[in-house]
Amino acid sequence: MEERRKKIEFDALVIGAGIAGGETALNIANNGYKVLLVEKDHSIGGKMILLSKVFPTLDCAACITTPKVSEIARHPNITVFTESEVTSIVKKTESLFIAKITKNPRYVHVEDCTACQLCEKACPVSVRDEYQFGLVGRKAAYIPFSIANPKAAVIDLEQCTLCGACERVCPTHCIDFTMETECFELQVKTVVLATGFQLFDPLKIPRFGYGKYKNVVTSMQMEREIAPTRPYHTILRPGDGKIPDQIAYVLCTGSRDDSVGNPVCSQVCCMYSMKQAQLLMGALPMADITIYYIDIRSFGKGFEEFYQQAKDMGVNFVKGKIGKISEKENGNLILRYEDIQEGIVKEAEHDMVVLSVGMLSNQSVHQIFDGEMLQFDSLNFIWQSDLLGSPAKTNIDGVFVAGTASGPMDIPDSILSAGSASSEAISYLIQH
Amino acid sequence: MKKNLGVYICHCGGNISDYVDVEKVRQAIEHEEGVVLAKTTMFACSDSNQKEMVEDIHQYQLDGVIVASCSPKLHLVTFRNVTETAGLNKYTYVHANIREQASWAHSDDKEGATEKAIRLVRAAISKSRYAEALYPNKFEAEKAIAVIGAGMAGMKAALSIAEKNMSVVLIEKENTVGGHVAEWGSLFMTNEKGSELVQRIHNDLLQHENISILTGTEVVSSKGSIGNFTLTLQKKHQPVDNLRETMEINVGSVVIATGFDHYIPQRGEFSYLNNENVISLPDFKKLTDQSTGKTLLYNGKEIHDIAYIYCVGSRQSEGENKYCSRFCCISTIHTAIETKKKFKGIRNFHLHRGIRTYGKQELLYDEALQNGDIFIQFHDDFPPEVSFKNKKTSLKVKDLLFSDKELLLDADLVVLVTGMLPRIDQSIGQLFKLPKGRDNFYNEIHMKLRPVETVIDGITLAGTCQGPKNISESVNSALSAATKAFSSISNGLVETEPIVAEINGNSCVWCGECLKACPFEAIEQKEIDGKIIAVVNKSVCKGCGMCAPVCVPNAIDLIGYSDKEIFSMIDALVQ
Repeated sequence: MEERRKKIEFDALVIGAGIAGGETALNIANNGYKVLLVEKDHSIGGKMILLSKVFPTLDCAACITTPKVSEIARHPNITVFTESEVTSIVKKTESLFIAKITKNPRYVHVEDCTACQLCEKACPVSVRDEYQFGLVGRKAAYIPFSIANPKAAVIDLEQCTLCGACERVCPTHCIDFTMETECFELQVKTVVLATGFQLFDPLKIPRFGYGKYKNVVTSMQMEREIAPTRPYHTILRPGDGKIPDQIAYVLCTGSRDDSVGNPVCSQVCCMYSMKQAQLLMGALPMADITIYYIDIRSFGKGFEEFYQQAKDMGVNFVKGKIGKISEKENGNLILRYEDIQEGIVKEAEHDMVVLSVGMLSNQSVHQIFDGEMLQFDSLNFIWQSDLLGSPAKTNIDGVFVAGTASGPMDIPDSILSAGSASSEAISYLIQH
Repeated sequence: MKKNLGVYICHCGGNISDYVDVEKVRQAIEHEEGVVLAKTTMFACSDSNQKEMVEDIHQYQLDGVIVASCSPKLHLVTFRNVTETAGLNKYTYVHANIREQASWAHSDDKEGATEKAIRLVRAAISKSRYAEALYPNKFEAEKAIAVIGAGMAGMKAALSIAEKNMSVVLIEKENTVGGHVAEWGSLFMTNEKGSELVQRIHNDLLQHENISILTGTEVVSSKGSIGNFTLTLQKKHQPVDNLRETMEINVGSVVIATGFDHYIPQRGEFSYLNNENVISLPDFKKLTDQSTGKTLLYNGKEIHDIAYIYCVGSRQSEGENKYCSRFCCISTIHTAIETKKKFKGIRNFHLHRGIRTYGKQELLYDEALQNGDIFIQFHDDFPPEVSFKNKKTSLKVKDLLFSDKELLLDADLVVLVTGMLPRIDQSIGQLFKLPKGRDNFYNEIHMKLRPVETVIDGITLAGTCQGPKNISESVNSALSAATKAFSSISNGLVETEPIVAEINGNSCVWCGECLKACPFEAIEQKEIDGKIIAVVNKSVCKGCGMCAPVCVPNAIDLIGYSDKEIFSMIDALVQ
């Protein structure tokens, strides 16, 4: 295996091709350096490319992300590895890191695929579509999502029955079941970690009934329902397909909650919930939207004004933490909570509940450093060794952090953090 | 005249196609003169469609391309680049905005929105027929950057540029560097003091030969544009002599890092200035930082009970400052924790409107709660009342937790948690004609796509001059601005848009109307062959078109928006 590793050389390695990693790669590449951008998923664009609109400007997320993603994919100085993972990094000298990279097979030759979707139609296997967060299904031979980059088919070999139907219909013969895992040994002068975050899994709070009550969804699922590339082309509750008109948001699901091991605030949930509420009011003019909150944290530029706008539009804000959710026979949900303003325990009925899930650290890079070890904070986010003076620096000289890999952040802050990390990386490349 | 035109009509997911019948638009224009290809597309900006456009341009030998989609502010450049990739001159590309101008503006009238979209696309097709190949103006750029303001953001921006081996001039109007941070004691999340942090960064700055630090210096004028700015600097008036030393510097780009001002409460606002026991947060921070005894003393009096009133000057429903100042919640909680650690017998009462300790700051809020600090949330409409009787300061407040029951609280000291204001001295903004947002902070082009750039090429924003931020957020923004500034001029060359005004010297009679209309001082008076006429400085002109309509003899044309293009568009719109 070791001998079969292909040796490659770049100036900078950026791990994670979400909005922070992508912005970092672009900034470095625009200064003439060769960048390898490694992404474990089948598409670049991270979580942002899957969003509907973004607060507080209500720009369409796809409209901002897709051209960026396109710029990254076409940049002469950027090489993108999708479905790839960095398995180890060793710092040899001040200007030499050796990284091992595993590129998993996609079973489709991307350069030949025209995304005609004939394989998708031919494939007999239906499974849960993770890009639509389980709202609909997909095939085992599939295009990840309509604005994915690269836009090419993938064969999900774990689900595949090897019936060969896709191979037979493919007009360009780009499906190849003999593709193997490729291994690379990379020499690079600097590393930027942009590995992002993980969404809180609401199954950890059984009293909210997620997974049991069909009309309790996560905010990411609602995000998909209102996105331009939405699965249903309208908003409906998953239980019975009814268009909801009493929607509740449960803020701080998995944030500010020691009982699930996450004491901190996720920084974005207040804002995205208010955004979704505003979009829902546009799409469903008759619907009532209630947001149950502990504190509303609209702290960024234009955020407080956005909060006032949500109030003016008629979004109902209730200060109170939801204790328990139960289901009625008709699929409606009863929310039990303490109304702080009135000082009494109350119950309210809604026909759909959205759990505003928070951000947790992504621990995928925790074990990859050999020799000089990377340090993490108490919440397993990457530790910023000089938080106030140089926020992008980690404890390892020459290794920088961008975006939510160091803590919860919204998109504007992630992009500024990426600007900061790329600035440090460029300086490092010039100095070494 | 272009003969082979390709037209793409975008669904924008549903942003357009939910209200505009894009297929009807396609059918309406597919037989327009010169149109050889008319398509609809789900996302015109997606990579797959961009690839398809390049293939189409080759296959159909298109010499003009029109995309009808969102605002050109978002994607004009995207599609120009696509046509350039395919070998066309990118300035022949024409954009039609049928999202902001049709679908979003007329979501209540689908037929009307579709009709308007058809006319907008027809107008774009007409313009495309006349669109000429243009070439960007290229200039040599001065390889040096000026940073205005030497607070944390300015210092870090300068340092990061110097680390990239480029010359930097760091200009500060005060006599010392470090801004507000230099005045602060212990900082949150680290144990460093503000003054120590500033000293550390200052030492780093002194390591670099290519940084000149000019303190006590103001920028009094600016001329030129990206690549070639000439700034006139003036040493501040020294009382010793009456000389006002001035100097000129040439730089390729300017980073604005002028910071913020603290909100100063008005006399009587929560009894400020009427009651000596009411002070502002910055003053309180200074007091606790400078006090060395075991007991906190203020005006010789022992301080035990401290009441903090939050959101003073921020989140005003009546006043001008609607925004949240972002740093004050955590700053106050941190100060309260430190005060309790440092001095005996401190009890903290936080009178707030919802604590906003976002992200990991929450850990400090937890710590304050564990310390026994009392948090009382008051209703937005019922701010606390401060009174002074029998030498005692008391506060009346309604607590949300107690169903708005009125609480009475005696305090030795009342701290008004004051927020951030945009700089009251707006001279730098006026000098560079920087746009301001609704909150009066300087405005970026696009919060997500171009968060540190301004509409003035070559001018970037660092730190709190763009909006409230804490120190690490300011530094991130400063380094982002530094990178943009550096990248834009690092190869010693800048390109500017060819879309500028052009004056026909034969028709010009120099009436001066264009000079009055120009907001960018791009018009100069010149004598050519014995005739006084107006000429346009191409590196300064932004192509805004203000001069063209006021020209009496109609001697001015805007390149790329010539009269024949515009008239053809008007004809198509009213057809």
